[in-house]
Order: sequence, then C-alpha cells, then structure tokens
Amino acid sequence: MLNAHGIESFAWLLIAVPLASSGLLLIGGNRLNKWGHWLGALVPVALFGYVIALFFAVKGESNRHVDLDMFTWIPVAGFHVEAGLLLDPLAITFALLITGVGSLIHIYAVGYLDHDPGRRRFFGYFNFFVAAMLLLVLADSYLVLYVGWECVGLASYLLISYYFNRNTAATAGNKAFYANRVGDVGLSIAIMLMFAYFGTTSFSGVFAHFGASGNAGKGVAAAIAIMLLIGACSKSGQVPLQAWLPDAMEGPTPVSALIHAATMVTAGVYLIARSAVIFEASQAARTLVVIVGAVTLLYGCISAFGQDDLKKVLAYSTVSQIGYMFLAVGLGKGVFAIGIIHLLGHGFFKAALFLSAGAVMHAMNDRIDMRRFGGLWRVMPVTFGVFVCGWLAIIGIPPFTGFFTKDKIIEAAFDKGGTSGWILGLAALIGAGLTAAYMTRALVMTFLGKRRWEDDVHPHEAPTVMTVPMGVLGVMSLIGGYLLIFGGGVQHWLTPSVGPSVEEGVHTISPVVLSVITIVVVLLGIGGAWVAYGVRPVPATRPEAVSPITVAARKNLYGDAFNEAVLMRPGQWLTRALVFFDNRGVDGAVNGAAAGFGGGSGRLRRIQTGFVRSYALSMLGGSVAVIAVLLAVRFQ
Amino acid sequence: MSNAHNVALPILLAIPLVGSLVVFALREAQAKLAKQLTLLISLIVLVYTAVVGFSFDTSAHADRFQFMGSWTWIKAFGVHLAFGVDGIAMVLVGLSVVLVPTVILASWNSFDSKSGAEEETSPSGRQRSTKNFMGLILLLEFFMIGVFVAMDVFLFYVFFEAMLVPMYFIIGSFGGPRRQYAAVKFFLYSLVGGLVMLASVIGLYVSTGSRTFAITDLIGQVPDNATQKWLFIGFFIAFAIKAPLVPVHTWLPDAGAEAPAGGAALLVGVLDKVGTFGFLRYCLPLFPDASRWAAPLVLILSVIGVLYAAFLAIGQRDMKRLVSYTSVAHFGFIGLGIFAFTTQGNSGAVLYMVNHGLSTGAVFIVVGLLIARGKSRNVADYGGAAKVTPLLAGLFLFAGLSALALPGLSTFVSEFLVLVGTFTRYKALAIFAATGIVLAAIYVLYLYQRVFQGTVNEKVTKFRDLNVREVFAVAPLLALIVFLGIYPKPVLNVINPAVKATLSDVHKTDPAPELGPVAGGQR
Amino acid sequence: MLADSAQTISTPSIAYHALLPIFIVLGAALLGVLVEAVVPRPQRFNTQVFVTLAGLIAALVTVAVLHGTHVATPSPVGTDSPFAGSLAIDGTGLFLQGTILALAIMAALLIAERSVDVGSAIVASAASVVGSPTDREHSRTQRVQTEVFPLMLFAVSGMLVFPVSNNLLLMFVALEVLSLPLYLMAGLARRRRLLSQEAALKYFLLGAFASAFFLYGLALLYGYANSVDLSAIFTATKTSTKSDLLLYLGLALLLVGLLFKASIAPFHAWTPDVYQGAPTPVSAFMASCTKVASFGAILRVLYVAFAGTNWNWRPIIWAVAIASMVVGAIFGLTQTDIKRILAYSSIAHAGFILVGLVVISQDASASVMFYVLTYGFTTLAAFGLLTLVRDADGEATHLSQWSGIARKSPMVAGLMTLLLLSMAGIPLTAGFTGKFFVFKAAWHSAGPLVVMALLFSAVAAFYYLRIVVMMYFADPPENAPTVAIPGWTSSVALTVGAVVTVLLGVFPQPIIDLATKAAGSLIG
Repeated sequence: MLNAHGIESFAWLLIAVPLASSGLLLIGGNRLNKWGHWLGALVPVALFGYVIALFFAVKGESNRHVDLDMFTWIPVAGFHVEAGLLLDPLAITFALLITGVGSLIHIYAVGYLDHDPGRRRFFGYFNFFVAAMLLLVLADSYLVLYVGWECVGLASYLLISYYFNRNTAATAGNKAFYANRVGDVGLSIAIMLMFAYFGTTSFSGVFAHFGASGNAGKGVAAAIAIMLLIGACSKSGQVPLQAWLPDAMEGPTPVSALIHAATMVTAGVYLIARSAVIFEASQAARTLVVIVGAVTLLYGCISAFGQDDLKKVLAYSTVSQIGYMFLAVGLGKGVFAIGIIHLLGHGFFKAALFLSAGAVMHAMNDRIDMRRFGGLWRVMPVTFGVFVCGWLAIIGIPPFTGFFTKDKIIEAAFDKGGTSGWILGLAALIGAGLTAAYMTRALVMTFLGKRRWEDDVHPHEAPTVMTVPMGVLGVMSLIGGYLLIFGGGVQHWLTPSVGPSVEEGVHTISPVVLSVITIVVVLLGIGGAWVAYGVRPVPATRPEAVSPITVAARKNLYGDAFNEAVLMRPGQWLTRALVFFDNRGVDGAVNGAAAGFGGGSGRLRRIQTGFVRSYALSMLGGSVAVIAVLLAVRFQ
Repeated sequence: MSNAHNVALPILLAIPLVGSLVVFALREAQAKLAKQLTLLISLIVLVYTAVVGFSFDTSAHADRFQFMGSWTWIKAFGVHLAFGVDGIAMVLVGLSVVLVPTVILASWNSFDSKSGAEEETSPSGRQRSTKNFMGLILLLEFFMIGVFVAMDVFLFYVFFEAMLVPMYFIIGSFGGPRRQYAAVKFFLYSLVGGLVMLASVIGLYVSTGSRTFAITDLIGQVPDNATQKWLFIGFFIAFAIKAPLVPVHTWLPDAGAEAPAGGAALLVGVLDKVGTFGFLRYCLPLFPDASRWAAPLVLILSVIGVLYAAFLAIGQRDMKRLVSYTSVAHFGFIGLGIFAFTTQGNSGAVLYMVNHGLSTGAVFIVVGLLIARGKSRNVADYGGAAKVTPLLAGLFLFAGLSALALPGLSTFVSEFLVLVGTFTRYKALAIFAATGIVLAAIYVLYLYQRVFQGTVNEKVTKFRDLNVREVFAVAPLLALIVFLGIYPKPVLNVINPAVKATLSDVHKTDPAPELGPVAGGQR
Repeated sequence: MLADSAQTISTPSIAYHALLPIFIVLGAALLGVLVEAVVPRPQRFNTQVFVTLAGLIAALVTVAVLHGTHVATPSPVGTDSPFAGSLAIDGTGLFLQGTILALAIMAALLIAERSVDVGSAIVASAASVVGSPTDREHSRTQRVQTEVFPLMLFAVSGMLVFPVSNNLLLMFVALEVLSLPLYLMAGLARRRRLLSQEAALKYFLLGAFASAFFLYGLALLYGYANSVDLSAIFTATKTSTKSDLLLYLGLALLLVGLLFKASIAPFHAWTPDVYQGAPTPVSAFMASCTKVASFGAILRVLYVAFAGTNWNWRPIIWAVAIASMVVGAIFGLTQTDIKRILAYSSIAHAGFILVGLVVISQDASASVMFYVLTYGFTTLAAFGLLTLVRDADGEATHLSQWSGIARKSPMVAGLMTLLLLSMAGIPLTAGFTGKFFVFKAAWHSAGPLVVMALLFSAVAAFYYLRIVVMMYFADPPENAPTVAIPGWTSSVALTVGAVVTVLLGVFPQPIIDLATKAAGSLIG
C-alpha cells in the first residue's frame, strides 16, 4: 500500500469532473441545450485519456496498491471511515472499461438522441452514472463503495424511466430500484458484519483478517460472503433477483448498452472479485455463487428464445453472459481473472450488439419487434456488419473474443473436477450452444430473410456519429479477445488484486478436445436456428400454438409471475390490512376512549334532572356514604 | 447549579419573542411588512445562532454544557431560568433556526386571499391573517429554542407545554378541512403526555430531596428503585407521544395532514424532535437504570415502527399523511439508535434528528408547493406532472431521495450509523430495521411515480413551475443535505462529546470488535 | 348579703382592631340599606356603587394593614392560647379575607356594569310578577333593584367571618349570613327571570338542607367535646374518653355542610343550575368568593380541630376529591352552555383543590390558599366576559353562539382563551402555578391522587379547548351575537383578572411567599 503521488493524486477528478458536468447540465437549464450534449460526451473521453495515463503510472509502481486518501468522512468513536480511493489493477481495469466504452457510447448517444428535446437531461444523468460507477470501482472501503453502488442504482433508475410519461418506463425504473434496494440490504448487512467483527470497513482492514495471517473463521466469511452475494445478484440481474434487468430495456438504447450490458450490471462480478479473499475463505459461499451462475446462464438462454423484442433478447443474453462470469468468479482461486476477462470482452461485443440494435430502432422509428424486421442487411450494411461482429464474438467462433474468454470458463468449470465439475461444465457447454442458437435467431430475424416491415417506415443507415463508435466496438469485439488473453497479460496485471491464475492445472478434458466439442455444439446451435428461422419464413405475428417450453420461455420461465404472486400481491394485501388496522384499530382505540368519555358524560348528565328532590336525595346519599366511609375507616 | 450568567442564550431567545410581539402588534393591512419583518428577524436569529454555534468548544477538555446562564425564577419551587447547551441541543437549535426562514419563504403567499393561485387546500372564503401566521411562527421559534436550551426541568416543562399553543393555532386556524379535529387531537394527545410527565417532574423534585430542578444537579441523583422506574415512565410516555413512537403515533398523520405545509414542516421537523431529544437529555441521564431496564421494549417498538409505518406510508392516498407516516418510520430509527446505547447509535440518532428535520422539512415544503397548485392532497389527482413542472419534480425527487437515505446524502450517514450502532449489540433488530430501506424506496418512488410520472393528468396541465422565491425556500435545505452527506464531520464533532457524556451517564460502553486487530491490518 | 353572693361577670376583652375589616363591611352594608331609604332613585345606583366599593376597598386596606396580626378574640379571661377565642384573626384568616375582599371588589364592579344591558344585569323590580305588564314596562327602564349591593355586602361580611371563626357556632352564623343574601341575589336576573327565580329557590332549599347537616354535626361534636371551640375539640380528640362515634358522625355531617358550599361532589348538584340561572355577575361572585370562604373554613376546621385525627378523615377527602374531579370533568364534556361549563369546571377545580387538603402541612395549606386565589380571579374574569356577548334576549351563552367570535372581537376571544388555558393548567398562566403548587405539596402522601388529578385535568381540558375551537376555528352562525363594549367598571375587573392570571403564571413568587408565611399560623 503506497500513497498516491504525481498524477495519481488527481484521481479524485475522475469522480469530481463528471459529477460537476452532470450538475451543470441538470441545473444549467435550456441555455445549455446547444452544446450541453457535447460537453457531456467530451467528459468521458477526457477521463479515458487520464485513466490511460493512470494505468501506466500504477503499472510502474513497485506494488500496485496505490491509496489516495481524500478526507475523513465519518468520525464516530469506533466507527471511523476515511473517504479514499484505491488505485489497483482491478480498479484501473474497470476504470478503463467504463471510460473507454463509455466514451464511445456517449458519442453514439449524441446522434441517437438527436431529435430528443430532453437530450441535455439525458447527458446529465449519463455523466452522473459515470461518476457513480467510477466511485464504485475506485473506492477503498466497502462503505464508500456502497455510495457508488447505490448511486449507479439511482442513475440506472433515472435513465430507465427517462421517458417518464410512459407508464411502462416509469414502472420499469421503480422495479429496478426496488430490486437494487433488496441487494443493498444484503450489502449493508455485510458491511455491518464487517464492522461488528473487525471494527473497520476499509478493504485493507477487512482483508487483513482473511488469508494466511487472518483470524476470521469460516462462519464469518460465509455470512459476509453470502450477504455480498445478495447484493451482487440484485445489481447483476442474477437469479433470483433477475426480473428487473429485461424490463430495464425501457431506457434509451445507449443506456442499455452502457449501463445494462457493459458496466453497471457487471458491478456484481466486480464486488465478488474485489472480495476474492473473503470468498476464498468460504467454500459454501463459492458453491452458492457457482450455482447462481449456472442457473442464471441457462435461465437467460432459455428466456432469450421466447422474446421477439430484439433488445429483450440481448437483455436476457446479458443475464446469461453475466451468469458465466459468476460461474467463473465462483470457481475461485485463479479463475477470477478469467471472469474479469470475459466481463471485458462482453463489454465490447454486447455494447456493439446493443448499439447496432439501437441503430435498427433508430431506423425503424423505434419499432423493436423482430417479426417486423427482416432483410435489413440490404438497407443498413454497416449496422449489419457490426451486429455480425458482435454475433461472432458472443457465440465464440474462433478466433474471436468469445472463443477465448468463454471457452476458458467452460474449461475451468470442467476442471473443477468431481460431479459438480461435470454438472457445471455441461451447463456451461449447453449454454454455449443455446447462446449460438438464440443469437443466430436474432440475427436471422432481424437482418436476413425477406422484409416484413410496414410501408410507413423507411429504414436508413445511421449517421456517422453513430456508426463510427459502432465500428470501433465491432472491431474490438473481433480482436478484443486476442489482446486480453495474449500472453496472459491481463492475468498477470490483475494478480495483485485477485491473486494469481493457475496456469496449467490438471485438466478433466484436454483444452484442445474441449474447444473442439464446444465449437461443434456452437455450430449445432447455429444450424438449428438456421433451420428454424432461416429456411422457414418467419410469421409476422407470433404464433400462439407453440410448445409449453416456448410458452414458458416467453413468460421468462414465470420469473415475473413468481414475483407478483409471492411478493407483490401479498405486499399489497398486507399494506391494505395494516392501513385498516391503524385507522380502525390503533386510532380507533384512541378515538374510542374519547367517545367513551363523551358517551359516559351523555348518560351521566341525565342524573342532573333539575329536580330539587333528586338533588336532595343525592346529597343524602352522599352524606350516608361519607358517614359510612368515616366509620368504616375508624372501626375497621 | 452553576451560577454563571452568560446571556448568549437569553438574547437568542429574546429576539424571536420580541419579534413575534412586534408582528402581532401590526395591523392586518400591513401583511407585507409583517412578512418582510418576520423573515428579517428569522435571518437575524439564524446569523446570531451561527455566531454562537461556531464559538461552541468541541475540544476534548471542553465543558459538556456551554453558554450556561442561570437566574432564580420561582424561589419557592427552586426553579431557575437556567439556559445552556450541549452538542445535542446545539445542533437541534441550529436545525430549528435554519428551518424557520425556509418555512417563512415557502408560506409567503399561502394565506393571501388575493393570490388565490397560491392558496393551499382550505374551505373557500375563510379570511386568514398572514400577519398572525408569521407572528405564531416566531412565537413557535421562541418556544422551540427554549425547549432545547432549558437547563432546568421545570423550565423545560414550561416550554414543552407552552409550545403546543402556537402550533395548535397554526393547525387550527390555517389548516385543511379537518383542522379542528386535527388541532384538538394534537393538543389533547400532547397534553395527556405532558401532564403525565408533570407528575414525574414533581416526583423528581420530591424524590431526589435536592430541592432543585437544575439538570446538572439532578443527574445521577435519582436512586435506582421502583420510584426511578415510575418517574422514567412518566417522562417516557410524554416523549414517546411527542416523538411519536408506535403505537401512540396516530395524532401525527392527522396533524401533519391538516397543518399548512409550513406548519407541518416545523411540526415534524422540529417539534417532534423534542421527544427524541427528551430521551437523550432527560430519560437517559436522569434515570439510567430505568432506561436500561426499558431499553428492550423501546427497541422492539422502534423496529415495529420502522416497518409498520413504512407499510402504512405505502398505503396512503393523501400525500401529507404519507409523509407524516414516513416520519413515524424515521423516528423508529432514531429510537433504535438512542436505546442501542452505542456511540454510533446515539451520534447517528442525533445526526438523524438534524437530517430528518432538513429532509422532511424539504419534503413537506415541496409537497406544499405542489398542493398549492393542485388544490388537492389526493395522489390520484396528479400524474405526469414532471412534464409540466420539471423543476418542482426535480426538487421533489431530490427531497424524496434524501428521505429514503440515498448514500451520498446526509440522511444515509445517520441511518447507517444508527444501523451499525444497533447491529454491534442487537444483530437481529438491526437486520429487521435494515429491511426498512426497501420499503422506504417503495413509498418514496411509488409516490413520485404516481404524481410526476406516467400519463399526464389533465388536471396538472395548468400548473406553473416554481418561481425563484419557491426555489430559494427549498434549495438551502437540499444544499445542506448534500454537504452534510459528503462532509458530516463538523456536525459530528459537535455531537460526539455530548453523546459520550450521555452514554457515561447511563453506564454503557461500546462493544469491542469481536475479532481483534491482526498484524498487517491497517485502520 | 346579696351583695356578697353577687357574682361578677368579667367581660372578655375584644381586639376590636382585628375585627375592623368585618365591621367596615357590615357598616357599609347598613349604610347601603339607609341609602335605599333616603337617596332618590336616580342617584341611588351610583351611590350604592360608591358605598360598596368604598367599603370593600377600605376593608381591604385595613386587612393589608393588619397583616402579621395573630390574635384570637374575644379571648376568655385567663387563657392566652392563640387558639382559644371564637375569632382567630391570623395569617391564614387575613390572607383569605384579603382574597375575598379583592374578588368581591371585582364582582361589585361587574354588578355595577350598566352599559352592556339596559339598566344592568340586575332585575328592575324583583317583586313584580314575571311577564306582568309592570314587569315588561320596568324592564325597559333604567330602574334597577339596587338592594343587590347591600345584600352583597352582607354576604361578604359573612364570608369574612366564615374562615376566621374559631368556633363552630359562630361559623354556622357566618354560614347563614353569607348564604341568605346569596339566595336572594341568585333570583335577581333581569333576563330569563323564571330561570333565575327557580335557581334561587333551589339554592335556598338545598342550602337549608345542608345547613341542617352542619347544625346536626355541630350538636354531635358538642356532645363529644362539651364545647364548640375548635381548639377544645382538638384537645378532646386527644384526651376525651367518650366513644368517638359521636366525633366521627359529627365530623361527617359538619363536612357535608361545608362541602356543599364549596360545591364539591356529591354535594354539587345545585351548582350548574344556580350558576346558570343567577345573574352572571352574581354567578361570578358566588364562583369566586364563596369558594374562597368555604375552603378557608374547611381548612380551618380540619387543621385546627381535626389535625390529630387526620388519618381517619383523609379517606373522605380522597373520595370526594375524586368524585368532584370525575363529575366536573365528565359531566362538563357534553355541556353546551358556557355558564354550565364554567360551573362544572368549578366543581372539577374544587376536586383539584381538595388534593391539597389530604396532607396537613404549611406547604399544603399555602398551596390551597394560593390555588383558590388564582382560581377566583380567573373564573371571575371568565364570567365577566360572558356578559359581553349578547343577542336579542340577553347574554348569548350557548357554545354555538360563540363560534367565530374571534373574527368579530379578537380581544374577547384572546382574553377568554387566556383564561381557559389557565383553567386547563397550561404553563405561564396562574392556573398552572396553582396546580403545580398543590400537587407538589400533596405528591408525597398522595401520589396516585395527584396522577388522577392530572389525568382528569386532561379530560377537563377538552371542554376548555372546545370553546377555543369554537371561537377561532369555526365560522360564525347566522344572526351571530353582538359583542358589547364594556363600561369602565367591568373593563377594570376584566383587566385585573387577566393581568393577575398572567402575573401569577410568570412571577408567582411574592404571592407564594405571602401564602406560605400566612399558612404558618395554622400549624400549631
């Protein structure tokens, strides 16, 4: 751990600058409408430049843990929290991804929202997201991380419900925030556990209790790790907290690309990787992570089949791809790096896919039903090209990104050994096949076949300001894998953060064989999809007479139905019951008491007849009572 | 009883009192002058408080109570006009004097019959005197400051009860349709609590034999026995009603809903703090053993409050009732923090009082501005308003986010301190309370969605967005919320010593981390 | 030889100076009767007012001069015990006399009010048949039954003797002297005469009934102690060998008589009807002065004669105290006539005052005296305000008629609110100081009773609030009553009442000291 110096000591600008520009854009008012978006787009580009410089600076350090202490945030007796930034390989890597891909998508958005009156507001939110996300990955303590964690949630909420007059958009935004809050409970409990057991929440302070010299038992590790996992699941749209992510596609496409594909949704993976030592200390927690990963990746693939909405398909594919990453980081020691690498690769190709999908929407005036597309390759070649790049990358055709990153995960899964190894491995393998199938389906339905769109839409190629970033991302998704995997550079670079990668352990199946098998599975997937959608014509309205599996897939395996039945409706019922109870019961008791006095008064006052005789009688009675009491007291 | 004669606080009290008398003395016709005068006075108070506050000594060796001044009042009862502040009182006085000017700004035109556009929900034709409202606000400020700076139990009780009167008139004369019911309910509820407390006040005087009401002389004097428990209960009931703690909370939704927005902001923002302040200043130091004895019950009630009230808030259709219920939930957190008896919990609770005052104050004011336009408290009468009034929507959302304790805003710091402080001693309770943050998100965002998002309700199309005055009424509060969220240190430094002293009064120390530090572990 | 057997009867020495206040008032009363005889009608009213005020003020001054005196007179030969002698002019007595006189002056000022109603609140000619032509004709004239002033003075003289009489027989005489004029005065209302006369008759019948109890108790006590001197009874309780059945029966019956005058439940039944029927200024006079006098008497009887047996009578006080609070608080809730509400409030307050009587201590008696003083001023001013709000047929005392009054006359509403808050015991008003004083004194030996008292004062607070709500938060009715501009007399009375209510809330110290010092005289 060494203190920041030189250019590293300006790292706080990474948060301050986008925050400032966001504030300016939101408060500045309409007078900024002219150039506001360019300001917004410029910020991440500048930051990207700075992060590269930072990368080399940190790379040069003897040990790559640079701490930038900013100020004392919360000083209360035992609970002393410093606001500080940690510049280590993991953080820098994410910073590079966020600012890099972020810059491209910002530029793209300038074109995408060209006709949108609220563009300035959009860029305000977008920059705010960048600030929050960078805070998340640069924080040097769990509590500061929590701030970024929740703020990205807010940014995602704001951007999902960007078209706030659409009820669906508003609802989707709320759903996302609620789901994130559930995760936040987990995360905050984890932090509380840390404080209760270790008296600190800073990374260095907490991690010191784990590993070789640590004194934290399995139980503590498991408790903390599982709580962290809950947080990770909600943020990364993993089962059982996945339901919000597909709905999040209500936001503008650049949002889906940057926040709900490339960066924010991978925060869960970051959290687990960051807490590597804690997870390594608890086998139970790791098992839970891999189960979540495996289940989710299959869930995502199957649900993706049921969708006719192109963005929904991509959303579910994101769900399943992140499932792969969870699987990787869950496999623990040495596989973390691979998870991160897949994350980076995914960042490229998923962004590429979303942007091209966005270009399609842009061209089809915001229609997104794939059954209404078809044959678009002729009218929008560039978009088609980019989409194909992404397609090749995600399904893992060698020598493209997915091939390097995903296969390593499948391999690692098998290498886990034992039955669990086989189960996980097969899951991952099947997942690869399905991925190939549904992506091919999407490709075919959108770009190939004959046109199915109505006459009132006139598809056209996107403007340059959009196509250029798309192109860059397309290229990156083709060659990115190379750069990432080449000579294990990234593994080495990440070692200080997540521990060394096991290079050549024992293999259940030799990598070569496995690769071949994988490729075969993938090709089968492609073939199947081609037969189903390429050869036969696609009906313009979705057929109702379909297999139960398809029905289930369309209903995303009843995920939403489950939430409604188990959470929403009981919740509403409980609320109504409690409101009734509070008004009739609690408040009723109070008013009842008051009414009681009043009624008593009403009844008693009848004694006051106004007749002297009755008054005299009452006096007599009173006197008798007085005498009785006195004598009773006297002669008891 | 220290016989110091520091006049700093008496002067602070004198300014609003004199001011209110002057304003009352004005003629109805001089409403405009009354407003300007009131604003001026409240700003003078603000500045003066700032001066006093910055000279508050936070160093380690500093006295617990500062600016002490004491003069004999009623010799026969051993009553003194004794004033003084510890860190807790200091920040709460600060909160009060910050809220008052914003409330004045926010209610600037609320009761002018001419600017009907501004008029809040109220039966038509009721001529309501702006000048009286302003006078009442200043009178209320006098009592609010007094209740925090009183260093004599009798004097505190006097302020505690007298405070009801101006608020009673604010609700009753300037409130909504059911204002009579609300005002009487508020008054009687508090009065019952107050009279029960009076019994304890007398009992305290009698039982300690030290014929004085001076807090400094009473701390640690009450013998630990049944009497102490009874006295504690007396004080506790009064404060629980004021706070309000479930199940004696039902006056707040009515009062909060019927009071004019400005009044509600002060009612929930400051007056209710007197309850939780009372826990810290009176229950814990004076009756330490009884406090520890009662803690489990209070903690459970608090947690119930957090969840129960949150559900109720979600279920409300009346915006102001909704906000009132959220406050009940927040008071659950404060109670939790206080009776967890940890420095984090207590400091968190005190900071929570301040933040909640700012946050709920802002929420009430913004809601008031909205209602002033929509003439209805019913959520169903709105929808999609963000399209028409983006500025109002933005401030509303901001205030709402502070109410759901968004990290980065001051409310988060206090809420997390409370949770962590509770967790170190009562894990289960803290976890239950933590689930409250989900509900908080639901009641805030669900309200925002119904009012500002979705399809535009034709009722809102005529709304006009905020003007400069209205923005300036809320902006300072939000700015403070942001600042204290990023840099709460100055306030915490004032609070911490007082909290330390309070905890030592109740003979409690923080539990140490369950796993000691290890070699190589920093911080 | 007759001369030898002739016995010389030594006349007891009388400390005339100590009795001066009583003499002055009696003199003024007699003068008043003369005035009725000689002064022509036009000047009569003002003359009477002058005589009355002059007499009362003079008496008050003398009381002030006498302060610190401590004599029992006429002291029988050979004894110089301060408790022997049928009249004890001591601290307590003088304090109470002072209070009574001060309140009486205010009451007189209220009665002297002529500008709010034609003539005054007092009937034109009590003798004329209600509704008869003469009656109708008179009631439109300025003519007033000015005998009310001498009557009042007689009543006051009785009240002055009542709390200082150290001898039951004398106390009985005082009781009658103060009661009989009151019976008459209650019947002198100018409006609603039948109601007023009914009230007078009720008051008279029940009062006679109560007096009988008193007298019977007196007899029994004589049988027990062979004396009607309080001090003698005290020594008897210590030494006597007779069955103390007599003692307790006597005490019980005696108490009934006293509690009746103080309108304490269950002997309160007359209060609402009489307060409502009597002319409002007279109700004010009864509610304040009579209460002071009768609590003074109760105080003296219990402290001087029965201090030794307080363990036996304390339960009675508990019982009647609770009864009064319950009746006063609960019955009052559903009343709709403000005069009746004030009547029930006076019953409730009697209950609170009794809390101070469960203990025998200087503090306690001081607190009781202080309380009756504060209550007297407050309630007097409250009744005085009632006279100002009027409609076609006199005072508008129905709750609904007061709604929205604040908008018509902020002054009246503000004053009324102040007085009501004081009755509700809100801090910074006299009412709170009084309650605090009494409850503090009683806390040690009667904690639970104090708590009950507090709870019932919360209940009672409801009907005070109801009036405030009406005045401020309700919209005025059709044919809303008018608010009369008071003449100087009642203006003075109201101002004094309000000022005292505030002063005793903010700076009670001097009066508390006075009361405490005075109370010393009862602690043997």
